[in-house]
Amino acid sequence: MQLQKAMAHNPRMDVIVEGIQMVSGLLLVVFLWTHMLFVAAIWLGVNAFNTLAHFMDVFGLLPATVVFLILVIGAHIGAVIRRVPRQWQEQKILWRHAKLIHHSDTWSWLFQAITGTALLALAIVHMAVVTYGGIDANLSSSRVHGGFLVFYAVLLLLSEYHASVGLYRVFVKWGWVDRHSLKRVLTVVSLLTVVIGAVTLWIFYVLGANA
Amino acid sequence: MENRAVLLPQTNRDDWGENMMHARTLTIRIMRYNPAEPETKPYLQDFQLTEEPGMTLFVVLNKLREEQDPTLRFDFVCRAAICGSCGMLVNGKPTLACKTLTKDLPETTTLLPLPVFKLIGDLSVDTGVWFRDVSLRTESWIHTDTVFDPDAEEERMDNDVAQKIYEAERCIECGCCIGGCATANIKPNFIGAAGVNRVARFMLDPRDQRTDREYLELVGTDDGVFGCVGLMACDDNCPVGIPLRDQLAYVRRKMAQSAWNLGKTK
Ligand code: SF4
Ligand code: SF4
Ligand code: FES
Repeated sequence: MQLQKAMAHNPRMDVIVEGIQMVSGLLLVVFLWTHMLFVAAIWLGVNAFNTLAHFMDVFGLLPATVVFLILVIGAHIGAVIRRVPRQWQEQKILWRHAKLIHHSDTWSWLFQAITGTALLALAIVHMAVVTYGGIDANLSSSRVHGGFLVFYAVLLLLSEYHASVGLYRVFVKWGWVDRHSLKRVLTVVSLLTVVIGAVTLWIFYVLGANA
Repeated sequence: MENRAVLLPQTNRDDWGENMMHARTLTIRIMRYNPAEPETKPYLQDFQLTEEPGMTLFVVLNKLREEQDPTLRFDFVCRAAICGSCGMLVNGKPTLACKTLTKDLPETTTLLPLPVFKLIGDLSVDTGVWFRDVSLRTESWIHTDTVFDPDAEEERMDNDVAQKIYEAERCIECGCCIGGCATANIKPNFIGAAGVNRVARFMLDPRDQRTDREYLELVGTDDGVFGCVGLMACDDNCPVGIPLRDQLAYVRRKMAQSAWNLGKTK
């Protein structure tokens, strides 16, 4: 080992970064699913949704969530950035490679990097809008009806895809469960959350249309 | 641990007559490239030949070289899935050409050399240099202070442990898990599944006295097991069926454990 490396050396470094990537990812999945359930409160009606929103307001949960998200997303990005091929040359090799070997798990990795990048942009917009506007059923429905539908649909699909593939990888890498049954379970769970989200969006859309 | 048998191509003589009746004409599309002539870019060349019963790609390539193009370059030694020299991309899938039966292939088959390794020409790559380098970097030998006593009775090893070691040792260094790995394709120092599997073998061996910390320095890194992003192309492609996913997960968990312990003692 060379001096400059010996002085900066920490044998646990790579494990720690890997751990941060995993823990932040898992936290984000938990958040995502909780979030889907919370907004699904609209299934029970405008009042239920607003009561929940009010409850969050009283306990200062909205700013707390935003801080939590900024920290966790920041940590996640910081940890995964080392995986994303940065140079154009590497990108080209990876695309060629994925096309060449016809291997679905390799494709899903490329998509994960792409959806991740897209999600960052979408999530920032989403968080800014919600923080600025506050949470209220009327606001949401007029927003969804007023052109944001596609935005939310895309956000929903991308985040579910990214979460499901990410979860799959965590389990596969650490070897906790059988690969193929895992894929099946995750597909079902993701489809369920997508359906929940889609129905929620649709309710908002109808509410907005009738307002 | 179960021992997976290596499937060898078998010729079923009963099929002879029938297959001869309507034998397919196969198109074999082969990548041609000679690193000594870099001005000619790699290109695909089509060859045609008639399929025979029990034909493997080993037979195909030798026939093509004998009958159509003596400059065609590829490697075979054992033609029985033992030596690991015939790894290549068969329609994109990294596998051993000698155990690939043409009857399992479509009419047109594309053959490319394995990526990552040094290209010697056409389908021939040099896996040896790569594997030697990884062996050296992972110090793939038993590290021990015990002085060998030629008169003493050999120490006994638990059968379970011996089986596990054997499982890892079945690697024939064909390089399929390396060529198919996206990480190995862009990270020149990544030791890949074969490298991690090799280290797992020594971690299992009770005679190796290396400490957890030493192993952590060796493979608990981004060039080692934490470079792996879990694509499982290795696990899907190992032609001798080494459970690479289990090996990777085993080493990964061990390394996390050592890092944890190290953190506590600090
Ligand atoms: S699981 Fe890891 S070693 Fe295997 S192909 Fe994927 S990145 Fe490479
Ligand atoms: S682990 Fe399997 S695929 Fe990789 S080099 Fe060894 S035998 Fe080949
Ligand atoms: S020729 Fe030895 S493994 Fe194929």
